[in-house]
Amino acid sequence: MSRDAFKAQRGRVRESVTELAPWLRLLSRHRARLSAGAMLMLLTVGSAIGLLALSGWFITATAVAGSLLAVGGAVTLDVYVPGGGIRLFAVTRTVARYLERVYNHDTVLRLLAELRAGMFAVLSRLDGYTLSRRRASEWLNRLTADIDTLDSLYLRLMAPPVVALVAIGLVSLLSAVFVPSAVFPLTVVLLASWLWLVVGQAGLGMAASQHRVVAQDRMRSRVIEHLQGLAELTAYGALQHHHEGIDALESALYRDQRCLAALSALGNALVSAVIGGTSLMALFLAAQAYHMASVSAPVMVMLPLAVLALNEALAGLPMAFTQLGATRAAARRLNGLGRSRGMILEPESPRQPQGVPPAIRLTQVTLHYPDALLPALQQVDLHIEPGERVALLGASGAGKSSVAQLIARLIDPQRGSVRIGGVDARNLSLDDWRARLGYLTQQAELFHDSIAFNLRLGASDADDASLWDALAMVELDAWVTQLPHGLSTTVGEGGRQLSGGQARRLALARLLLMDPEVVILDEPFAGLDGGLAARISLRLDHWLEGRSTLFLMHQLDGGPFDPPGIQRCLTIRDSHLITAREAQQLGVDGC
Amino acid sequence: MTTSDSGAESLTPRRWLRSLVAGQRQWLMGSVLFGVIAGVLTIVQMIGLAWLVDRLIVAGVAPTTLLPQFLGLGAVILLRSLLQWGQEVTGQEASLRARHRARRDVLAHLQRLGPIRLSGYHSAGLGNQLVEQVEALDGYVAKFLPQQWLAICQPLLILALVAWLDWLAAIFLLASAPLIPLFMALVGMGAERLNRDQFAAVARLSGHFLDRVRGVTTLQLFARTSQATEEVYAAADHYRRLSMKTLRLAFLSSAVLEFFAAVAIAVVAIYIGFGLLGYIEYGPSASLTLFSGLLILLLAPEFFQPLRTLSQHYHDRASALGAAEELTALLVDAPGERHAAPHGRAGRSSRDASVRLVDACVSHRGRGRVLGPISLTLHRGEVVALTGPSGSGKSTLLQLLAGFVSAESGVVQTTPTDGMAWMDQRPWLIQGSLADNLRLVAPDASEERLTEALSMAGLEDLISRLPAGVASELGERGVGLSGGQAQRLALARVFLAEAGLVLLDEPTANLDHATETHVIESIRKLASRHRTLVVATHHPALMAMADRTLCLYQGCLVEERP
Repeated sequence: MSRDAFKAQRGRVRESVTELAPWLRLLSRHRARLSAGAMLMLLTVGSAIGLLALSGWFITATAVAGSLLAVGGAVTLDVYVPGGGIRLFAVTRTVARYLERVYNHDTVLRLLAELRAGMFAVLSRLDGYTLSRRRASEWLNRLTADIDTLDSLYLRLMAPPVVALVAIGLVSLLSAVFVPSAVFPLTVVLLASWLWLVVGQAGLGMAASQHRVVAQDRMRSRVIEHLQGLAELTAYGALQHHHEGIDALESALYRDQRCLAALSALGNALVSAVIGGTSLMALFLAAQAYHMASVSAPVMVMLPLAVLALNEALAGLPMAFTQLGATRAAARRLNGLGRSRGMILEPESPRQPQGVPPAIRLTQVTLHYPDALLPALQQVDLHIEPGERVALLGASGAGKSSVAQLIARLIDPQRGSVRIGGVDARNLSLDDWRARLGYLTQQAELFHDSIAFNLRLGASDADDASLWDALAMVELDAWVTQLPHGLSTTVGEGGRQLSGGQARRLALARLLLMDPEVVILDEPFAGLDGGLAARISLRLDHWLEGRSTLFLMHQLDGGPFDPPGIQRCLTIRDSHLITAREAQQLGVDGC
Repeated sequence: MTTSDSGAESLTPRRWLRSLVAGQRQWLMGSVLFGVIAGVLTIVQMIGLAWLVDRLIVAGVAPTTLLPQFLGLGAVILLRSLLQWGQEVTGQEASLRARHRARRDVLAHLQRLGPIRLSGYHSAGLGNQLVEQVEALDGYVAKFLPQQWLAICQPLLILALVAWLDWLAAIFLLASAPLIPLFMALVGMGAERLNRDQFAAVARLSGHFLDRVRGVTTLQLFARTSQATEEVYAAADHYRRLSMKTLRLAFLSSAVLEFFAAVAIAVVAIYIGFGLLGYIEYGPSASLTLFSGLLILLLAPEFFQPLRTLSQHYHDRASALGAAEELTALLVDAPGERHAAPHGRAGRSSRDASVRLVDACVSHRGRGRVLGPISLTLHRGEVVALTGPSGSGKSTLLQLLAGFVSAESGVVQTTPTDGMAWMDQRPWLIQGSLADNLRLVAPDASEERLTEALSMAGLEDLISRLPAGVASELGERGVGLSGGQAQRLALARVFLAEAGLVLLDEPTANLDHATETHVIESIRKLASRHRTLVVATHHPALMAMADRTLCLYQGCLVEERP
């Protein structure tokens, strides 16, 4: 290896260590468990070495003794101690391996559970924008596949090389005690191979194994795109063309896989060549010592067999280290998530907003998401006085929900300020503010749990009577009553067992159970029929008294879908708040 | 019909896997061949070692005089490593090719199912199946299948050699052999159960996570994130306890296999030792030598090694079978009933007719007839609006015209040479630039044509505000475009395609008034370009611009207004 190549290699190693460092620190919290697991691994490998070495010694000793006995010589050979030793090693090897596997898998699963909860905690602090950039299934991949990839960190990347190193030490020790002349060449060859298997394999496989995960993600996206756009692709006759794109991504992925497979096969072949070759070398060196009568015949046979047994300690290394890049890539993605700029954190010394309900004021707010084509909001000034009901109108994507997210502090603005009751939103206690704010989002999510569970998100200590009251307000009480399990009925994944309208009303009922001072309702009557909307609107009007309200609406048409008691209308268009006059001139709906 | 049905019934996961693997026979055989020769060389290596030891000790030869033999043995070891490399690489090649074919077949099948049938599936789920589940076949093809043969060949070779050296030792090895199939079955059952339970547990865990991840904003708004975090931990920990139960069993069954292997080795070692000492006078033991004794000892672990390796790959087989099961479930979903009814693409009745339907009917599985009988002639350049209550068959009629569904009876005649454009209420955008999105339909369109199409669709404002123009990258899922802009981008595609037949399904649904006006204006431009335009709509302005308005009710034409 040239000097530069060596430096580059060292740089790569250092980079890997930096990226894996947070995870190594996490692992180190479980030092005791991890060392116990490694000890069990070592016991397994040690027993394997012991079994083969002792057997070789024993057979040679008996052969030598046997041939002496045959010519009538007098020999005493204790056959019971080595025989017992062989049986002991055989049993220890099996039992230790079983215990090691059970114990270490348990450890790893414990770690993964912690990591998942930790990662979810990070995820739950991300802002609305960062969250919306990816599909839920991609976040799920971070939480499952990426964290699963980290299980190899201990089980394949940390413990085995350490155990292999100790095993090499054991064999060297054996050689030092019995055949000192063999120690140096033996140790050098074994250590050099160990180094190659760990550092060399990792270095060669790094690029491909990191890239493989990305290539696979890309192919998945393209396949999903292909299936989602099948109608368009078929109609426009572009099916073949787009399919070729998938093929190209697959070939790229398989190029990486082919390269990695060839590399790890190389590593495996190397292990078997090194072990075979070293044991041959050990035999030669021990034979020289035997020839000079400095060791006995059984010892001469024992050493090469001990080397042969090292195979078990080294066998797992090539595959694990060739794929190091995949673990690194997963760690890097998770690190990136942890360092996300879009973090909403609790302020260190939160301040109390003035007034009940507090006044809301957005001043010159500009919001430009990092990879969006255009800003979401530009220099928006908006205020909601205590108790006021304001409607914010605009097309989907005009920026209405960005305003709502700013008020709920699901996102922070790049420029300008959001003040709640005179306090900058960044200085509010998150939990406290969110307890005082009720926000019905456009896609209010229901959880795969009972109706009661979903309702109690609004008020954890609500009794059944209050739940029924809330259901009555959205006219779901009759329907829930006739369900065989009543309030305990599960709503299905994402509320899928409910119709769109029912899910919407359940989400509204959940909000009604809260006692918020400020309410934001995004199209509260979407998916309902006119009569029902009018009746709910009447009850809502009553409930909203004394609370500040912001309605987010596509348009108002004076019909039953218009929310009750609107005092003021604002229109947002292409990320700007426009005046009523401008709205009229542009022919967009105003009040 | 009947033939495809019987074909579908007979497609089992195992049969499908077999057919996939059959195409890769030469690679797999290559892998096995390399493996067998490597196995023979392993035996040669052990013979060499035993022989060297014998020469050194029994004959007292100086090691330096044996140097050529040492070197020769080194060469054997090197050659064996080379063959092992070849075995792995050829196995991997077989696996890559088999996976490529599996993916191609499944994707082709999904394409045959067509966009309408596919809408019943979750596209992310399908994406996962086409990527992860196809990849799950890897270990089975690359490792398990070749190893299956090696696990038979190598032990038999060793057994034969050991029997020749000392039949009693061979019997000790053989004594554990009948147990081996039993252990393999045990291991296999353990692996299969492990896999099944694990699949279910993972699915439950993922379901829990997905639910919480999807609703994370809701959790934030209700200040429940820390509670949810604890629940995530509890779910993950519950999963740990479940998996440990199955893992313990799986590990135990392979431990039993190893235990017997280890005991057999120990017994052989002790037998040989006692035999060499002359303590055993029965059978062949008296003729044991250091060479034969040591060789038997060295071969004993190699007798069990292929079986141990096979049991390690058993879970590859289980996960491949699991994946194959789900993939064949997709493959047996027969594509739309291709009826004998002439879905004629030729034989135009009159020169200016773009589309002609005669008594065409469409049925959907489980829903019965959804359209027809319907007779209709669309003239070239005509603008036709389709109206009717939801579920009246408007979309089905458009799908029939597009060829996404076929008629069970009647005649459908279209002129495919005219080209076709399609847009529905969910504009489909790909990840890439605006230009990439447009060039899907016209791969070599010039930038001028792109700009022209965009301005026809009313997007010139947007483009002029973007610093990178048509080269601007859209984020994932069209991040950066509003719903109306996305719809207009899809419309620009229609302009660009220069298709003779344009099918629009509710193009203004989900848009606000202002955007709606823009889109309608663009469609008006489209209508003036001598294209046959069929629009399913409720919008008065769109109906007003049509030459004819067809009203559908319960799948039949009830009214036709000029």
